Amino acid sequence: MRSGYFKETVAEHINLTDSTLQRIWILIGLIFVVALPFYFGLYGISLITLMAISAIGAMGLNILTGWTGQISLGQTAFMVLGAYAYAISVESWGWPPIIGFALAGIVPAFASVLVGVPSLRLKGLYLAITTLASAFIVNQLVLEFDGLTNGASGIFVNRPTIFGYAFDTDAKLFYLVAFIGLLTVLACLNLRRSRIGRAFIAIRDNDNAARVMGIDLRAYKLYAFMASSFIVGISGALYGIFLSFVTIDGFPLLLAIEALAILIVGGMGSIAGAILGAIFLVGLPEITSAIFGMFGETAKQFLSTGAHEIKGLLYGLVIILFLRLQPHGLMGLWQDAKRAWTLWPLRY
Amino acid sequence: MTALLRLKDVTRKFGGINAVNGVSLSIEKGEIVSVIGPNGAGKTTLFNLISGFLPVTTGSISVEGRDLAQVPAHKYVQLGIGRTFQNLALFKHGTVVDNILVGRHWQMKTSVIEAALHFGRSRREEIAARERVEEIIEFLEIEHVRDKVVGTLSYGQQKRVELGRALATNPKVLLLDEIVAGMNQEETEDIARFILDIREELGVAILLIEHDMHLVMDISDRVHALNFGRTITEGQPEDVRSHPGVIEAYLGSGGAEQQAGPDHAKATEAAL
Ligand SMILES: Nc1ncnc2c1ncn2[C@@H]1O[C@H](COP(=O)(O)OP(=O)(O)OP(=O)(O)O)[C@@H](O)[C@H]1O
Ligand SMILES: [Mg+2]
Repeated sequence: MRSGYFKETVAEHINLTDSTLQRIWILIGLIFVVALPFYFGLYGISLITLMAISAIGAMGLNILTGWTGQISLGQTAFMVLGAYAYAISVESWGWPPIIGFALAGIVPAFASVLVGVPSLRLKGLYLAITTLASAFIVNQLVLEFDGLTNGASGIFVNRPTIFGYAFDTDAKLFYLVAFIGLLTVLACLNLRRSRIGRAFIAIRDNDNAARVMGIDLRAYKLYAFMASSFIVGISGALYGIFLSFVTIDGFPLLLAIEALAILIVGGMGSIAGAILGAIFLVGLPEITSAIFGMFGETAKQFLSTGAHEIKGLLYGLVIILFLRLQPHGLMGLWQDAKRAWTLWPLRY
Repeated sequence: MTALLRLKDVTRKFGGINAVNGVSLSIEKGEIVSVIGPNGAGKTTLFNLISGFLPVTTGSISVEGRDLAQVPAHKYVQLGIGRTFQNLALFKHGTVVDNILVGRHWQMKTSVIEAALHFGRSRREEIAARERVEEIIEFLEIEHVRDKVVGTLSYGQQKRVELGRALATNPKVLLLDEIVAGMNQEETEDIARFILDIREELGVAILLIEHDMHLVMDISDRVHALNFGRTITEGQPEDVRSHPGVIEAYLGSGGAEQQAGPDHAKATEAAL
């Protein structure tokens, strides 16, 4: 049985890992991620890259929705802004990709204040609808400022070269995405164990008590919007690079639903849940098409013509199933399993 | 001399009714003052006004001479106002440690960016905060549940966590709203001991809303009695207890069959 429970100094409580065994597991995990592209063909690599990008976006949304309790359907808007910030600065203006990535975070972060301020007093459904509107507004703006954005035709995006290293193959792009994913995980873990993360969760759990503790609700909701949109924007830039093309058509509203579905499936508020959920939901259409494939050609045909609709249907179904049967998501399942394992053969 | 906390002619209206009506009250460092009164007397409303939950309709509240009307609600804590809630208001998904740590929030300065990077000030501050939280946990004798999610704790334990969270804000005045309600004798005595220690060791002034008359009589320096939002009387516990207006207020609120006598503290308690 693992035992990392007894600690001698207070500092040990805030460390991210608390045993050698845990560190070894993390190392194994990292090696596994590095080894992944060697096992997969081109299609497999693009699938795991997509999983990683979705995981980054979901971790971003998790800050706002999972921790702070503010439901948002504005995910797409900030992805689009991030993608265009990157594409315009790097492709149109020739700025270095590293600056492009920074802008892909900063631009959506500040834009989110514009969405955040009017929604400060809104909750639940009203907030969801207001944030949804931001997606339409951003799309409209992209079409409006076609001098900058190239309007509906979009901007072609090359694979980036960072500090002289060209991420020009699919495997290399995966490593780039995985590395940014790792940075995102660390940033989220750090936020989570800080006064900022605690303030977010305090607002979600009891905003009145949070205010009595000196948390400025308006400021912290905006911080949550900004931190969330920063990460979501970067996922948008990565998605643009992944697609080689940034257009508003590349970012359908379904992405916002998908992001929420990922959090619900993974387990609201959990960083690991966001990652597990992304792997599960991005993998789901593949599993489905494999199953449909077993029913022969016509079934397969049906699936490829209605791919978008079927995806939407699947997400809806999964959301309902999880909310109904496993509200704590995959992380909840994992914790139940872990408890059963440590306590076996006892019942409690 | 300016009082630590002073309420001057404070009134709060809800529509047509005056939930708090012209109440004046002041409390000095290290004092324990109880606010008593039958249900609906306006006690919690009074706390809501002092802690910035609700704005006053008329009158003024000041802390060390500073008028609270000029201060945004989330900054009241920085002036030294800490409180617990009549109905628990914990962050229910967090552990005991997490909850009490939130009390340290305003005393920490780490920004969002520093927090995401977690180095230097961010780390130092976090360790200092946790050390203080550990002291509080030890003081309140809840070490054995320190890593439990608060939602899974007993009511009495949750009340202690709330007290700990309020203490972590480093208050000058602590507002405790029926903190022993629903507790047994032993738990109540523990809380009484904590309250006296908090006063003794930290010099914190304590404003206590309480229905438990034994506790009120035992630990209060002064008692302030309210009914229908108005002050009936204020003074020494013994005097307030035997004040005709107070007895009537309690008997009028459904305890008329109880006899007022030498044992009437017990009787009024039962009436509530
Ligand atoms: N937010 C509010 N809106 C409208 N009326 C309110 C509000 N808060 C309190 N009241 C009313 O003000 C009056 C005083 O309520 P308050 O909660 O202060 O009483 P209390 O003395 O704390 O009673 P108890 O002993 O039952 O806790 C009651 O009539 C209550 O209905
Ligand atoms: Mg009350």
